[in-house]
Amino acid sequence: MDGVRVGNRVIGTQAPVTVGWENIPKVEGGPVKRFIFTWFQPAALLALVVFWYYAPNSIAKASTAIGIGIGFNALLLVLEWVNPRYDSWRLTWKELATDLFFVGLGYTVIHTASYYIGSDAWADAALNYLAADHFGWFMTLPLLVQALLILFIFDFGQYWMHRGMHNWYPLWLPHSVHHYITQLNINKGAVGNPIELFLIGLGIGGFFDFLPRAFLLSGAIGMAISTYQHINVRFNSPRWWRFLFNTTEHHSLHHSQDYESTRCNYSNSLIFIDRMFGTCIDGEAELLGMEGGRRMSIREQMTYPFTEGWKAIKGRLDPARNWPAAGGGNRVETAPHV
Amino acid sequence: MIPHFITWIWHIRGSLALAPGQSSDDAFDRLDPLFHQTGTSRDRTSDTLTFHKKDQAAQDKMSVFDGGVLRIEKSTAGPVLRYHLTSRALLFCFLAPLLFLALAQATIAVNRFYTPGTSAADKQAAAKAEEKKKAAEEKLAKMQMNPIDKALGAPAPKKPGADDKGDEDKRKPTPKPAYVFAGIFAALYLVGRILEDRLIKSLFKKRLLAS
Repeated sequence: MDGVRVGNRVIGTQAPVTVGWENIPKVEGGPVKRFIFTWFQPAALLALVVFWYYAPNSIAKASTAIGIGIGFNALLLVLEWVNPRYDSWRLTWKELATDLFFVGLGYTVIHTASYYIGSDAWADAALNYLAADHFGWFMTLPLLVQALLILFIFDFGQYWMHRGMHNWYPLWLPHSVHHYITQLNINKGAVGNPIELFLIGLGIGGFFDFLPRAFLLSGAIGMAISTYQHINVRFNSPRWWRFLFNTTEHHSLHHSQDYESTRCNYSNSLIFIDRMFGTCIDGEAELLGMEGGRRMSIREQMTYPFTEGWKAIKGRLDPARNWPAAGGGNRVETAPHV
Repeated sequence: MIPHFITWIWHIRGSLALAPGQSSDDAFDRLDPLFHQTGTSRDRTSDTLTFHKKDQAAQDKMSVFDGGVLRIEKSTAGPVLRYHLTSRALLFCFLAPLLFLALAQATIAVNRFYTPGTSAADKQAAAKAEEKKKAAEEKLAKMQMNPIDKALGAPAPKKPGADDKGDEDKRKPTPKPAYVFAGIFAALYLVGRILEDRLIKSLFKKRLLAS
């Protein structure tokens, strides 16, 4: 495969990718279907912003946010069924069960670990130790500005953590498991080794004070944007949306079987952070995963960072062997599993 | 020997009548493409097909199964395909509720571990935290709403003391999600056990009847 030159790099030499918005297929069907799948994303975002901005205090609670999140996920599952991006990404019973297992871990083990030993707990401990208060600089700003700041602070941290995971082998080990997914579906964002899911949730947000409603608004905006990273739905996202926000197209490229394509589009919600640092590529891919698309079992997903880490340490101690590359850079040598 | 009613959890057995006069070779030739998949190995004799799968692809139509035996038997009514398939995914899904129930208990234990004790130092720390929380609430109550939010009609922040039991530390882990997921996996298992049984039967039937 010849690949496509994008800036200084050539992508798509190991697996097919599509580069450039003009080459990406559009929603097919009648005018109603095309209208729905063009305006669904902005309409859902606007509806959620209006709801959380004006909801009375008795409703504007975390429990309402959880309920809306579950309902939104259920709606998107229906959209996956109605208008799939690729038939090769169709949700099966086994995929759904696997995805839900990781969602379950997110709500239980990972949430408990994040609550007690996550970055917010460390921020609280540090502020307590310094007898300092949270930085309340932003609390008098308009609610929407606060919400966008929370989103940006979180996304900025996540961008660098994610980029670090693709460039430093010890961080790549837990993250690599997430790159073994071979299709994108609504709950695939939760699939990964629990250590990685804990690490990716770390941030400096715990040092700041914002209005509680701003947190809820920010969570809703984040949900209405970042959920589309992993989804099997074809949308005609408006041009401004694609410029500002991470889309399925961007993220499918990031999950491509082509190594060079995985080294782009690191942000969670705000793709303009990638644009700022020159790591954004507009495009998409259908063939996803590692090792030629080998599907990893749950057991291997749990043990892989440790077994590979052990192998790497042994290799490090053996001068004849090399430290493996982060980001799966050595996987071209691995034969597809047949 | 594990009793049949226990192995039923992850073993799917069934049979399909073949067309009168259909040979074993013809039947297996029709089913053969199903076993030409990534991670699948198969062994075929005149009347038996044995297969194993490892790291099967998500879109493999038999991805839920890890192995099995298909046998063509002669009966008085004509040839019959009998199959016996095993699925670790079904077994895992059956056991998942137990895992989530264990996680619920672990959450309770962790919460208990982090609950302040009764020593003087613990009491002092708890009082300090309570004081800090109150001060933060008062600060919030005194804070002027941003004029833009006021003009746009956003509700004013909650006053301290009002509906305090509503959202008090809602982030604190509780065993409830683990119980919910135990229920989800119990339901998912039942759906999967029935659905996959029917899907495989219909898949074999479609292949065998395909002209």
